[in-house]
Amino acid sequence: MLQVLLSGLATGAVYGLVAMAFAVVFYVTKVINFATGQLLMVSIMTVSGLSAIGVPVWLSIVAGIALSTGFGVAIYYGAVAPVLKVDRTGFGWLVSTLGVAIVLASVAAMIFGPTSRAFPALLYHHSIRLFGTSTTWQEMLAVIVAAVVLVAFEVFRTRTLFGKVGMAISGDPEMATAVGANATAYAVIAFAIGGLLAGVAGVLVGPITFANPYLGDTYGIAGFIALMIGGIDKPAAAMGGGVLLGVLSVVANTYINSQASDWFPFVVVVAVLLIAPHGLFASGNLFARWLGRGRRSAELALPAVRS
Amino acid sequence: MIAVAIAYLASVGGVANGGYFAQSLFVTGGVFAVLAVSLDLVAGVTGLYSLGHAGLFALGAYGTTLLYHAGWNIFVLLPVVIVGVGLIGAILGTLSLRVSGLYFAIMTFIFSLVVTVVLTDFPFTGGLNGIAGPPLPSFPASLSFLGSSLVWCVGLVLLLAVGVVWSIRASAMYPVLLAIRDAEPFAAANGVRTAATKVGVFALSAGLAAMAGWAFSFTGYISPSQFTWTMSVNILVMVIFGGINTRVGPLIGAAFVSAFPVVVSIDPLVQEAIFGLIFLLVIVLFPGGVMGLVGWFWRRIVSRSSTTRHHVTDAAGEPAVTAPIERPARIREVSWPSDEYALECEGIRFSYIRGNTVVDDVDLRVRRGTVHGLIGPNGSGKSTLVNLISGALRPDAGEIRVSSVRVDGLPAHRRPGLGLLRTFQTAVLADELSVRESVTIGLYHRTPRVALRSLIWPLLPSARRDHRRIRSEAGEAIRSVGLAESWNEARVADVPHGVEQLTQLAAACVGEPNILILDEPLAGLSASEVAEVTEIIDDLRAKGVTMVIVEHQTQFIFGVCDDVTVLAAGKLVTSGPAEQVRQNERVREVYLGQ
Amino acid sequence: MSEHASPALTVEGLSAGYGRFEVIHDITLSVAKGQAVALLGPNGAGKTTVLRAIMGMLRHRRGSVIVDGTDITAMPPHRVARGHVALVPEGRRLFLGQTVEDNLRLGGLHLRHDKERTEALLRSVFELFPVVERYRSRPVTAMSGGEQQMVAIGRMMMSAPSLMLLDEPSLGLAPLAIQGMADALGALRERGQSILLVEQRVDLALQVCDHVYVLSGGRIVRQSDAASVDAQGRELIDAYLG
Repeated sequence: MLQVLLSGLATGAVYGLVAMAFAVVFYVTKVINFATGQLLMVSIMTVSGLSAIGVPVWLSIVAGIALSTGFGVAIYYGAVAPVLKVDRTGFGWLVSTLGVAIVLASVAAMIFGPTSRAFPALLYHHSIRLFGTSTTWQEMLAVIVAAVVLVAFEVFRTRTLFGKVGMAISGDPEMATAVGANATAYAVIAFAIGGLLAGVAGVLVGPITFANPYLGDTYGIAGFIALMIGGIDKPAAAMGGGVLLGVLSVVANTYINSQASDWFPFVVVVAVLLIAPHGLFASGNLFARWLGRGRRSAELALPAVRS
Repeated sequence: MIAVAIAYLASVGGVANGGYFAQSLFVTGGVFAVLAVSLDLVAGVTGLYSLGHAGLFALGAYGTTLLYHAGWNIFVLLPVVIVGVGLIGAILGTLSLRVSGLYFAIMTFIFSLVVTVVLTDFPFTGGLNGIAGPPLPSFPASLSFLGSSLVWCVGLVLLLAVGVVWSIRASAMYPVLLAIRDAEPFAAANGVRTAATKVGVFALSAGLAAMAGWAFSFTGYISPSQFTWTMSVNILVMVIFGGINTRVGPLIGAAFVSAFPVVVSIDPLVQEAIFGLIFLLVIVLFPGGVMGLVGWFWRRIVSRSSTTRHHVTDAAGEPAVTAPIERPARIREVSWPSDEYALECEGIRFSYIRGNTVVDDVDLRVRRGTVHGLIGPNGSGKSTLVNLISGALRPDAGEIRVSSVRVDGLPAHRRPGLGLLRTFQTAVLADELSVRESVTIGLYHRTPRVALRSLIWPLLPSARRDHRRIRSEAGEAIRSVGLAESWNEARVADVPHGVEQLTQLAAACVGEPNILILDEPLAGLSASEVAEVTEIIDDLRAKGVTMVIVEHQTQFIFGVCDDVTVLAAGKLVTSGPAEQVRQNERVREVYLGQ
Repeated sequence: MSEHASPALTVEGLSAGYGRFEVIHDITLSVAKGQAVALLGPNGAGKTTVLRAIMGMLRHRRGSVIVDGTDITAMPPHRVARGHVALVPEGRRLFLGQTVEDNLRLGGLHLRHDKERTEALLRSVFELFPVVERYRSRPVTAMSGGEQQMVAIGRMMMSAPSLMLLDEPSLGLAPLAIQGMADALGALRERGQSILLVEQRVDLALQVCDHVYVLSGGRIVRQSDAASVDAQGRELIDAYLG
């Protein structure tokens, strides 16, 4: 059981990172970048391609993540900003980012061929024994990276002025602009962070999946479902959704059948969307209110204190 | 129109007897065109971006195939899959539209993914390899001159789909759908059941997509890879490439998408990349698509040939209102109920956020046939009270009765049936509609079964009659509020604020209200327009219409109203005959600042 | 005040609107240094649009806006906000979910590297509004409307702007809170702050301001010194406001 849980945690960490890549972009710009999964693929293909021609593994990893980050920014300038310029409130970006996803996947397939290629093993063959279970270091790394990213992001968001400006832009972009915040710069940064997180997720998952130009579909959809389960409004909620989805998928695989992880996520997401349309960890639904019960009652007590 | 249909059928016959190349191109293009037209109905006309059309298409194709293998007749299956998938669409729409448009897009996207997974993973569908579709019987020997039966099948399906969608576009329902898309409160205030209509339109579109699937199943093997989310996007590409919310745009898009791979025969991967790129360029550079470009060129040619770009461009300075030359009556004489109060509110309480009461225990009694002013400083809860009465909001406590019928539990669209209509502080109308079309929305609740009849609108004599009546009544209403006839066909996007305000007033008048709520009818109007509105109010009063007017301009209120109610900070200050209220000490204190 | 010093605000021939709609036409007005000027007018007259146009929030506009000698006509709003103009919008629009102090610090975004200046500004806000200091670490949502308005004014002060814009700050406030707000604006003016105030309440505008413009139908229809608005003039203004 613990073995299953740990394995699910590792899978969920990757889903969570992709979901967070979606969520950070949405948090600042209210745009869902449907090419997020393809950014993960860009990093995987780059690492695979570069290491195949003899570039040191560490350098190809840096290049892969840098490229996915750069593509994230390029998506903003090429496919999102022009659409938002015409219509701030429309859904043009929905179509244009889906278009980017198709272009990236087919161009990658043109360059690398549609079949899977080798990916450096990294830490995949190094096992670690933990509480009587056996896990690869690669999986442990995924869990650790996800935890660090989550904590760092939350600290950054709530404790630094930079993060608070981000919160202000997320809540009221026009007013944030009126106090001097450069909303465009923040949008670019959000797309860069989205690309970075997707790229990191790619490096974490590459040794297991190998390199395939259509991986973006698989992980993009998984990340998107994780996002829907957790809630789109807060990046931390997206990570929660990813972990939950990962654990549930592995549990389903183990206890139902080996194909179950193909369809089980959809059962979960449909159930979640019917019960809590804004996601399990979003503020304002029953579950979140229950989680935040202590804090909320403290807030309610405030007016009594002041006089 | 008949000539067009004959020409179409003749060309279908030509293709059906033509070469294999032309036939396969027509079949693919025709199926795509049905999908594109059906998607444009939801995405373009109603503003709901469905990413689930590939899934609905798949359900149509697989439903036909699987039920055929279970022994059903393929022609019986056509209505079965249309209704069945339509119902699935209705359920999907009901579940997802309760939240928001974005949520709808996401839910339909996930629906599409679920369908693909089910088709791939479940044993009875043939998995990734797919399954052989039913064969379509050839024509009997006596009809063999017609050629390929598949081409005819697709040709008729396309005719049916285009017929239904174009019929809706030509019907009185079209302005209503556009209003739902761009001006939902306005539509609801005129009696449109906006939520149900959206679900209905999506269900219809789902049925049409299933029909495309039905025809597609005769083409041979069907497999999950033909129905992935990429297909959903492709359908959206057709619509946007050709021109969203246009008659022929989706057809152009479908023709392009199906012909492109055949004409430019290259490596499928390169093709897909180019395809995506073209699509990206269109949405980024020409959001209007091909039809948008055509329209742009057309307007340039027209504006160059004629120098009389009429008043619309320089409307800022010109008064919109014409001199009153023989105005038609604003409203017909109707027998009003004879109860004492037209509108009663008792103990109304409301808060947006708990603990922050905006309307606090307010009573309002409006005597039948009187003009009742509702005034108070900004933020006193006037607009909220109006929204409560008109059903846009629901009170936390209290009772609202319209002509003695309790309405506080009823949704907004039930009010116009009881004779209660309203205008909004700032008119929000659909930009793409003309002034006249906007006004016709006011007739919606007085025209029976518009939604149903819109499916075969041009074929119904009753619909043609109604269409003429609606147009002429709307035109009369526009003249009756003092707008020159030249405004009739001007697009709402191009008219000044004052004309927009008068347009919504005309829409309210044409709905034959017996109680009319005017929320700041003078806001932003010029002096001549103010005079016009005053005259309209006098005229309506003479006809016996009860009115509630929210206004800031106290002089106007005390000039025109019989009774006045004053609110301050969500509470009732006083209510009574205008003169009495004007003399009230507390009113002078809180409002007049004297 | 000297006639030769560059005024805090000079607006010339400003026309602006939304999309194809022009809401304000050919607006010309000025605010001398250290002056408080009121912009009065009925609902829908375009008062908020004037403020938004000055702030650079509207893309469709003509004319010129010069603040304290700097031409800000073509500046994007986030640059206008850096010391040139600050705004208290209608409805305050504080950053919900953040504390009072965070809201204030966000107001002084362009001075974030100048710690001393920021602390000094913070002190001056607290000096003007002691109650704000008391609640500095509370979430803004826990404050009353009047207190939130103080935070909004404080947020504006934090950027040390050449010109302050306030859009109907009295809206939805209790009479006592309105008086407090008027006193605060008076105090700011005493310190030499230039202010452009949009109001519906004539009495409040006359109490705080030196000069009055009346806007109607998107045009300036009248202007005069506040002191010379006699009974008859006031009646005129009242007529426009209703």
